[in-house]
Amino acid sequence: MNDNYLWDRSGEPDLDVQKLEEILGTLRYQPRPLEIPNDVRLRAGRPFFTKLAIAAAIGLVAIASGLWVNFNRHRTVPAVATTRDSQIDQKRNAPAPQIAPNDNASQLAVVKGTTPTNIQKRHREPARTLVAQNKSRDTAIRQSTLTPQELAEKEQVLLALRLVSAKLNLAQRKSQGLPQPNIIRNQHKIG
Amino acid sequence: MLEAEATANMLLMTQPFSAPKIEEQPVEVMLVKAVLDGERDRFARLYEMYAPLVHGILLARVPRDEVDDLVQDIFLHALKKLHTLRDPRAFAPWIAMIARNRAMDFYRSSRETVEVTEQMAIARSPNRTAKEILDLIRQLPDAYRETLVLRFVEGMTGPEIAARTGLTPASVRVNLHRGMKLLRERMGIVSEPPAVAGG
Repeated sequence: MNDNYLWDRSGEPDLDVQKLEEILGTLRYQPRPLEIPNDVRLRAGRPFFTKLAIAAAIGLVAIASGLWVNFNRHRTVPAVATTRDSQIDQKRNAPAPQIAPNDNASQLAVVKGTTPTNIQKRHREPARTLVAQNKSRDTAIRQSTLTPQELAEKEQVLLALRLVSAKLNLAQRKSQGLPQPNIIRNQHKIG
Repeated sequence: MLEAEATANMLLMTQPFSAPKIEEQPVEVMLVKAVLDGERDRFARLYEMYAPLVHGILLARVPRDEVDDLVQDIFLHALKKLHTLRDPRAFAPWIAMIARNRAMDFYRSSRETVEVTEQMAIARSPNRTAKEILDLIRQLPDAYRETLVLRFVEGMTGPEIAARTGLTPASVRVNLHRGMKLLRERMGIVSEPPAVAGG
């Protein structure tokens, strides 16, 4: 038996197969128009719930990315303050306090002139004198941790996140049937 | 800007992180999207393309008299449920599955009729009619009969059957080969002996 002819009608024809094609071909589908009743309604695209779920997932990713970037930025500040505190203590020949890396209250206690009433206020922001004195060092240390390539990649990620936000807005507007705006907001940020 | 756009698309999981490629979409993809966007008339084209497939799948399972009406019902059902199709490229295997399920429902509801058909004695006549041969095919295992009907009745080739049913070409080829062998036995056709390597 010629299997190739049975497979794709190539090669030498198989007589039995040809005979079956001829006989059974009389039963072939005869085109007839499809009658669509007027009351048949179409549901467009993906259900709104699916789009919402996708948008929520993307939003979570964007928030997590933002938090990660923020966390990395703040992580460098306490390390610098701790180093500077140690240096001040050594100059004054005072015993260096045991400062936990993220314990802002104990760090502030070392700074001269700190009163209990001011601790809570200054807890929100680091001691200005300390930051002011070490600003250039702080910036230098922070910038030195990121190479130019990493800085560029960071910019790309932030840019991508802004694009994601714009696309989410568009998708939301489309799913709600609102007219789509021609202008993308914050275009200067997107570039 | 392009790189940021690609990154954004990756985050949105709309396409893999690679250089943007312009690919031609298969016809059924464009048609499905057009129908979902509200262009109902485009569905007629999908119907024209895949009605033979549905007809063949049904013909392998249900009485001939019921096939034409069932084809219409299946496509109307597909039109209403088109929004549930996740991948427009899978339209053909999707509607094939609907057709098989509908045939199964019909078989359950009209079992008596089908049983009578299967019990018909088919004489070993050299000039069998199309209906008799079709009844012989219907007695074969499910995988073989559908493939044989699509091949002989609807005139599809093996690669076409594979593309439309979602089966692998290898599976279709095996089904055709084994199905044909069984059909020959049922019809009393003696197959040619395999060629012997001479020496």
